[in-house]
Amino acid sequence: MNAVFVLVLGFLVFFIGYRFYARYIDAKVLKADASRDTPAKVYMDGVEFIPTSKNVLFGYQFKSIAGAAPIIGPIIAIQWGWLPALIWILGGALFIGWVQDYSSAMIAMRSDGASFGGLTHRLISPRARIILLSFLYFYLLLIAGAFGNVVVSTVISLKSAPMSWLFLTIAGVLAGQMIYRWKRDILLTTIVTVVLCFAGIVLGSLVPSDALLGTGLANNRFVWAIAAFAFCYLAAILPIWRFSLPINYVASYVVFLGLFFGIIGVFVLHPSFSLPAVTTFSIKIGPVWPIMFVTIACGAVSGWHSIVSSSGTARQLENELDARPVGAGVMFVEMILALFALIIAGTIYTSPAAYSAAAALGPGAIFAAGLSKFLGVLGLPAALGRSYGSVMMVILAITIMQLIIRFMKLATAELLGDVSPLFKNAHIATFLACVFGMVLVLTGWYEYLWVLFGGANQLMASLALMLVTAWLMAEGTSYAWAFYPMIFMFITTIAALCYTSFGLLSKVATGMVKGGALVGNTLMGLIGLFLVVAAFALGIEGVKAFARHRGARKAGAAADAARA
Amino acid sequence: MAEGDKKGGLFRAIKDFVYGAAAHDSARSALKSKSSMEHLFMVITVGDMLGVPVMPPYYSLRLLPHLVPKIATWKRRMLREKDLTDGFG
Repeated sequence: MNAVFVLVLGFLVFFIGYRFYARYIDAKVLKADASRDTPAKVYMDGVEFIPTSKNVLFGYQFKSIAGAAPIIGPIIAIQWGWLPALIWILGGALFIGWVQDYSSAMIAMRSDGASFGGLTHRLISPRARIILLSFLYFYLLLIAGAFGNVVVSTVISLKSAPMSWLFLTIAGVLAGQMIYRWKRDILLTTIVTVVLCFAGIVLGSLVPSDALLGTGLANNRFVWAIAAFAFCYLAAILPIWRFSLPINYVASYVVFLGLFFGIIGVFVLHPSFSLPAVTTFSIKIGPVWPIMFVTIACGAVSGWHSIVSSSGTARQLENELDARPVGAGVMFVEMILALFALIIAGTIYTSPAAYSAAAALGPGAIFAAGLSKFLGVLGLPAALGRSYGSVMMVILAITIMQLIIRFMKLATAELLGDVSPLFKNAHIATFLACVFGMVLVLTGWYEYLWVLFGGANQLMASLALMLVTAWLMAEGTSYAWAFYPMIFMFITTIAALCYTSFGLLSKVATGMVKGGALVGNTLMGLIGLFLVVAAFALGIEGVKAFARHRGARKAGAAADAARA
Repeated sequence: MAEGDKKGGLFRAIKDFVYGAAAHDSARSALKSKSSMEHLFMVITVGDMLGVPVMPPYYSLRLLPHLVPKIATWKRRMLREKDLTDGFG
């Protein structure tokens, strides 16, 4: 199949899903009303609740949800063949992905801007909220581990990446200094720092890390893991304007330019898929169901989106009608991004053996090779294209990772602050988060770590859909459109987590793993089991809440009938 | 005219998108920093409204006319129950 046809198919699904399905739910089921005041207007405080244009929020939501996951998932999942991955990306986004993103924004908007913790407390039960918060900590840890692994494997496999990453960091810090300290013009700052960042990409291709540091150091996982987590440590500890935000600001230009020209390159080159459409039912990491459905998380459906939609975007929507373009529209754009990654993985290698050889270097290497090929059509030299692709992958992973370490610092303080005041210390809480993340990166098996991250992420999606279903039941509205996706996601993710956890723990128990891998894989297996237990506990609470809401509706209807 | 509006609209939409993706977070962060400073000031001056008497009421009363516009949103932000999931926004 031709790659352009896949993109056209993606745009067709985008059109149908957004124009018809999302519009129907928005207008007929949830009855979005432009005249109803949103929390952003009612509770406007100029801080969290600010009425914001839908175009600004579109960019904000896209930047918040588009990390490395929609790219890496399809690159790994193509091992089952590109057809199952394509079907899941299109079907998942059409029937589940946008439903979750949009409805999470709507439920928060109709509940005075409450976040998921408060909504769980009110709609499910107080106990469910505590389980959710502890679930979240391990979910964040898995993201930190999975994305940390992406950074480390990318800088080892692509020797141009470290220099580009260093220049990005310098450019970001300089941007912060220019904007906030020296009060320079934003346009001047942007031009200077983005040019500096691109200079780093060029320099990276000319001076690879092995030439600069020696092969031993350039290939040392421990060194790069330290570098990645030191970066995140600084991002969590330093004032946000000094390090984290300006780096993200400069990085966003690099990423968007790369994606924009990369997709144009696909249209110009219009390659055909060279890898098989379907390979086998089960690969090394597991069978197509349930494992593929969690391997491709963002791009089809992702729990992370629901958190961003509810606690960030919903408090800024100035009009109820904006929830559809921002919530649903951005999800479909992310679906296109996942299709782009699928095209890269499926078209640039001539045989499964060539793909496997490249996959051994990590998904970052595959992405960089693909981007280099598509930018090459537009005239960019291959070495420079690979350097560009490598820094893009590092950016996509590390910008989310630094955010996660910052959240883990807050979570440690909140969950363990009462145990000892030491955990409220920002340095100790951040250090702990970095150490846990590093243990996973250095001792866990990458592909299983990715599956566990995907499982936790998809489980978060099913919990978000559970909240939405409970809310719809309480409101007495049609709920099947959220309920059935929730059931599918719940069963699939529980099955995936059980399969992976038992697989890992059985390897540990039978002595198949030794040394450092023993620690990482035991930890990963136990985290997976904990997530399963937490999900079951939440599921039980959810079922009780469903019964309570339906009972209350029936009692209300009976009372109305008696009065009549 | 209509065509011109449309072009302006598209340019504006792209500009807003780029701002949203690149700089909106920075703007919100600056507002949050400002709000933290203001919060401290409010606690010091009218903290007794929340049971935290810091300043003698005489000075609070002198400052009250300047603080009135901010009191409602400040109290709402202070008293709204928050947890970890609020931090993601």
